[in-house]
Amino acid sequence: MIKQHPTQAVLRAFIQGDLDPSVAIIVSSHIEMCEQCQKEVNQLTEIAAEKAFEQDIMDSFDPCTHQAFDSSLSKNMIDEIMSLPLDESMIEESVPNQEMYEDIEPAHSEQNQKIISHKDGHLPLPRALSSLDAAPWQGVGKVSRARFQFNDDERRLSLLKIDKGGQIPQHTHTGIEITLLLEGSFEDDMGTYQKGDFIWLDKAHTHSPITQDGCICLTLVSDALHFTQGFSKLLNPLGKLIY
Amino acid sequence: MHTSIKTFGKYKDDSIATPPQLSTELCCWLNSVAKQRDKKAFTELFNFFAPKIKRFGISKLNNEAMANELVQDTMSLVWKKAHLFEASKGAATTWVYTLMRNTCFDTLRKMKHKDNISLSDDIWPSDLTEELSDDSEFKDHLLNEKVLRCIDSLPLAQQSIIKGVYYQELTQEQLAKQLGIPLGTVKSRLRLALSKLKQQMGDRDHD
Repeated sequence: MIKQHPTQAVLRAFIQGDLDPSVAIIVSSHIEMCEQCQKEVNQLTEIAAEKAFEQDIMDSFDPCTHQAFDSSLSKNMIDEIMSLPLDESMIEESVPNQEMYEDIEPAHSEQNQKIISHKDGHLPLPRALSSLDAAPWQGVGKVSRARFQFNDDERRLSLLKIDKGGQIPQHTHTGIEITLLLEGSFEDDMGTYQKGDFIWLDKAHTHSPITQDGCICLTLVSDALHFTQGFSKLLNPLGKLIY
Repeated sequence: MHTSIKTFGKYKDDSIATPPQLSTELCCWLNSVAKQRDKKAFTELFNFFAPKIKRFGISKLNNEAMANELVQDTMSLVWKKAHLFEASKGAATTWVYTLMRNTCFDTLRKMKHKDNISLSDDIWPSDLTEELSDDSEFKDHLLNEKVLRCIDSLPLAQQSIIKGVYYQELTQEQLAKQLGIPLGTVKSRLRLALSKLKQQMGDRDHD
């Protein structure tokens, strides 16, 4: 069972579209694996929608926005939108048919699912990663990494594979480190983690994960200051690999 | 129809949920758009959602022109995808909210980074998702040179739109002002130009 989840504040920022893209990707990947968070996200989305589209707020507090949306602008937009060409296929589908959707869903998700190979087999990736490409695996000892080619400032998103009995030496973080366990299990000073667990650490934490049976994680490391504060880490090949 | 919206405030103390009449009305309008492409129903939806989408846009994008674009893009999706809305799966407001949030998220990312990856459909998957996006063709930077050659072969009016949007990074609204043409014309020229480009790129791949 999944024990570690994103906090409610993180989920709320997630559904509002306020998280940085790579953080949103790793949160989304957890939600895909976690029924509990799926339910919570659905509820939070409903609440956010209610709030965004509440009528009386507009009327009483925000007359400027109301006026700024003048009638000629909205008329132009409406006309423009309604003259958009429509796909033939969309019109055919326009009477939704429950059976039809059930047929489509599994095919659709399979089509989008990306599978990554590693030296011990294959791993289907969370759907949030389907538009990203990973660089080839690089490894030192029992630890290997495949970094996603994705530009999000100082945040780096990677797959981290630790073979049976492997360990990452004790380290701290100058930024944040988010880990989502995709396969296998590992333990550190704070506990044992299973598939689906979502672990968000910041510089207050020190840990040295170790795995009995091997594991593959999706990791997000933000370490803007690593050139000064983490200098010694850069001299060590494992540090270089992970950061 | 209007009265139930105007009296919304009275329900506020009872519950945060949208009052039943309003949410039924929104669903009816969406249904009429889906089934009959009902223009009156769409106008009602637009008048209800547009100012609020704009407010959301201003708070996230910090820019009025971009917020107007968010309104136009979100409401275009409502028009095109109305048939995918299923009242049994959730409220109309929730459905429109996700379209708006996703469009806004992709816009923000495109403002910040030069790549053109649309991630929102992957991050917030919906089993109703369907590909409508025009821009996924341009991911590969190696294609740039080829694209440039194709752009030069477009009619001048379309060239100026493409260049304004993609090279000078003007918003479509700024471009409309600059060229002295309606926003709608900018959008339709852009669409036309993009579909021509796609066609040409495709043709060349077969060479």
